[in-house]
Amino acid sequence: MFKFIVRRLLAMIPVILAVTFVVFTIMYFTPGDPTNTILGNEWTEDASAKLKTELGLDQSFLVQFFNYTKNLIQGDFGMSYITRAPVSEQLLARFPNTLKVVAGAMLFCVGLGVPIGVFSGVKPYSLFSNFTMVVGLLGVSLPIFWLGLLLILLFSVQLGWLPSSGIDGFASLILPSVALGANYMANIMRTTRSSMLEVIRQDYIRTAKAKGVNARNVVLNHALQNAMMPTVTVIGMNIGALLGGVVLTETVFSIPGTGRLLVEAINKRDTPTVLGCLVIMAVCVAVSNLVVDIVYAYMDPRIKAQYGGGKG
Amino acid sequence: MDEVVKKYTTRKEFFKQYKKKSRLQETWNRFLRNKMAVIGLFIFIFIVLVAITAPIIANYDTEAIKINVPNRLKAPSTEHIFGTDEMGRDIMARIVHGARISLVVGFASVALALFIGGALGAIAGYYGGKIDDVIMRCMDVFLCLPDVLLALAIVAAFGTNLVNMTIAIGLSFTPKFSRVVRSAVMTVRGIEYVEAARAIGSTNTHIITNHVLINCFGPIVVQVTLYVASAILTISALSFIGLGIQAPIPEWGNMLASGRAYMRDHAYIVMAPGLAIFVTILSLNLLGDGLRDALDPRLK
Amino acid sequence: MEIKKMNEQENTLEIKNLVIHYISDEEVVKAVNGVDIIIKAGKTLGLVGETGAGKTTTALSILNLVPEPQGKILSGEVLLEGRSVLTMSELELEEIRGDKVAMIFQDPMTSLNPVHTVGAQIAESIEIHRKVSKEEALKQAKEMLELVGIPGERSNEYPYQFSGGMKQRVVIAIALTCSPDLLIADEPTTALDVTIQAQVLKLINELRRKYHMSMLMITHDLGIVAEVCDEVSIAYAGRIVEHGTLEDIFDNLRHPYTKGLFDALPDIEIRRSELKPIKGLMPDPTNLPSGCPFHPRCDYVMEVCSQSLPENKWLSETHCVQCHLYKDTNESRL
Repeated sequence: MFKFIVRRLLAMIPVILAVTFVVFTIMYFTPGDPTNTILGNEWTEDASAKLKTELGLDQSFLVQFFNYTKNLIQGDFGMSYITRAPVSEQLLARFPNTLKVVAGAMLFCVGLGVPIGVFSGVKPYSLFSNFTMVVGLLGVSLPIFWLGLLLILLFSVQLGWLPSSGIDGFASLILPSVALGANYMANIMRTTRSSMLEVIRQDYIRTAKAKGVNARNVVLNHALQNAMMPTVTVIGMNIGALLGGVVLTETVFSIPGTGRLLVEAINKRDTPTVLGCLVIMAVCVAVSNLVVDIVYAYMDPRIKAQYGGGKG
Repeated sequence: MDEVVKKYTTRKEFFKQYKKKSRLQETWNRFLRNKMAVIGLFIFIFIVLVAITAPIIANYDTEAIKINVPNRLKAPSTEHIFGTDEMGRDIMARIVHGARISLVVGFASVALALFIGGALGAIAGYYGGKIDDVIMRCMDVFLCLPDVLLALAIVAAFGTNLVNMTIAIGLSFTPKFSRVVRSAVMTVRGIEYVEAARAIGSTNTHIITNHVLINCFGPIVVQVTLYVASAILTISALSFIGLGIQAPIPEWGNMLASGRAYMRDHAYIVMAPGLAIFVTILSLNLLGDGLRDALDPRLK
Repeated sequence: MEIKKMNEQENTLEIKNLVIHYISDEEVVKAVNGVDIIIKAGKTLGLVGETGAGKTTTALSILNLVPEPQGKILSGEVLLEGRSVLTMSELELEEIRGDKVAMIFQDPMTSLNPVHTVGAQIAESIEIHRKVSKEEALKQAKEMLELVGIPGERSNEYPYQFSGGMKQRVVIAIALTCSPDLLIADEPTTALDVTIQAQVLKLINELRRKYHMSMLMITHDLGIVAEVCDEVSIAYAGRIVEHGTLEDIFDNLRHPYTKGLFDALPDIEIRRSELKPIKGLMPDPTNLPSGCPFHPRCDYVMEVCSQSLPENKWLSETHCVQCHLYKDTNESRL
């Protein structure tokens, strides 16, 4: 298994480099002169030229990209055009907040989506199952930002139970996590339900029942692991979307995270910060996908064996 | 399931062939039997009709754009069904005109994604081997960037206007379409009639367009439906964070963004625009799910 | 072992007038329409018929595992050693499944759980019914694997590492670990290569003898029947149309359908002879023909055949048939 993880980690490097390249290219072709942004009223031709040399902006595209990556590897994301402070400082300050929201959302959508999906898949004709189907259908169609506003209206404005913004303590995380996770909760629930439905009618489930395994263990020992495989895939596919959704959640709940930083930086034309945010999020997606792959490999003996993993 | 039933359904399918019903007709019938899907279709047709007739329903300049301060923040009434916003504009008028933007940008961006992604996917899937590897690795890189973020980056670089936004969303969906088309092409590629066409010496382009793509039609229609929903959601998301359609142009997302500040005392201000997004997305999701089930009954 | 089945008089299994339909919104599949089966202790009954004759459904009813909620047991009784299976509580059912009755399924490819080792899948049954520790169960599972001809050390492997024939051996091992009183083998060789079929069949037969089990052998292969069965029931459209000892059926068959089955067999003696398939198809189980369900395909069809269902007629102590041809006579009219 160790070999598998190392190999996947190594494979991540070119992907992250490529993403950096794509984002860098897009930002490079941003129309307008960054020295305008930096110097503002103090802009003169000379000052601009001087600043360009200082920032390396007078060099060719490839050299600029090379320098950026070289610094990136050392953890240097460059200097913000606006604050003139290292971008990495900002990222370090903001990123933990984003992580909290994403972790909360993940906990919410997996912790609720999977069990509900399993129950509803095991008893597909029950009232509960029909109810979850409707909720699931509505859930996947709910826009994060609108749900966020509705949650604020209900739980902060009307009931006054939970804070509507900021990020201090557990209570402040509840609404953002629910808003961000609702879509994916519904998605995970629907996937788990339908794969459970599929698995439960497989021949090996019948074999298990014919052995005298009780109903509970048929689900827990025989169906669940098989049914979870498509769910894990869906979780993996949605991590990117979840991180994208962070931008919206942080906007709705005024959370000072990476997403908010990104939007602010775009508005202020602070290219290094924009780049930094995008790169860090791409790394997150890549790492999460790796984690999902590892979990998947642990669940499917065929894949585990392929990488000479642990014994059965 | 029991073998009896399994065998029986195949036999039934077998006899159905003799009933001379076309596959399209059959699919359509299956679709019609799905109540939720039909509801989705009706809602969506309604939304399209509203978008088309928007100028008749409400005047763009005088009702949706013109600031009318004395009229501001009026709660829903018979005169203003959804109330008025912080500038005194009729929310209903703005929603109706907003529908046009959402639908046009939604469909245009998906068309763009389908065109570029579809071409890349078809080439990758049809030729396989190295070409496939190269194209799909490139697409994987884009997939590493959540599509909202990719769209954000593009909009950030080139500015926020309708065309850039369409391009941004279209490009961010391209990798997904290339995957869908690629896998559809790969399944069709091995099937006999494609082999047969190859055997009688058809050119590759001819095979791709006339045999492969036509048979990928089903899964693509389903994905188009679902991604139009996604695109509409992305438009309003971008507008909500201020990087999409800019005020005063009415768009559902930016209506929510500007209404947000007033929602504590005037909750209705965020109800109608949000509901508009929700219902549109829901109808397209219902439609897409229904089409998928109708096209491939086994997946149900 | 001998003592266990001393009472030869007792019937291991009695199925009386079993009717099972699959009911969905769109249609009713009449899978089983009044089946009677008796298996005496230590004996093997062959249940023969085409695909869709209701054989598997009948077999599943013995374990009370007819797929829910579509599968409805509308009437009838299933007595396992005198106890009614259909009225048992879920707990009682769990006790008899795998212990008193075990089943070998048709398709070994899909019958094993892909995410558990074969050892664990065999051991599970032992753990449940023998109430032993996990280690002990795994040890016994290894022995069981050896018994079906697979090296014990492979018990740590997963199903995907086994070939089809090996998988079927594992399925057999699962079924036999608790030496059940009744073994149901549902076309155990159909999904296997011809060369493997004989081995697997031999294995089942040997083990059955060794443990003195009764067996219900479901098959459409009359060759298998001749090899392993004591008695034969011929199923058609959810009914037993003819039943008798091996001799009754192979030498004295009476029902036109049974005759059709034999005529459809290739004859190695006369290489040039043409196969004579039974004309037509199995009837649609949602829309069975009136009267005798076989009449549209029958070479001996009479007017009465489409009007009424033939009664069950006993021709001798052991031999019975459901056919209008034998209303007034016991002599063969074929």
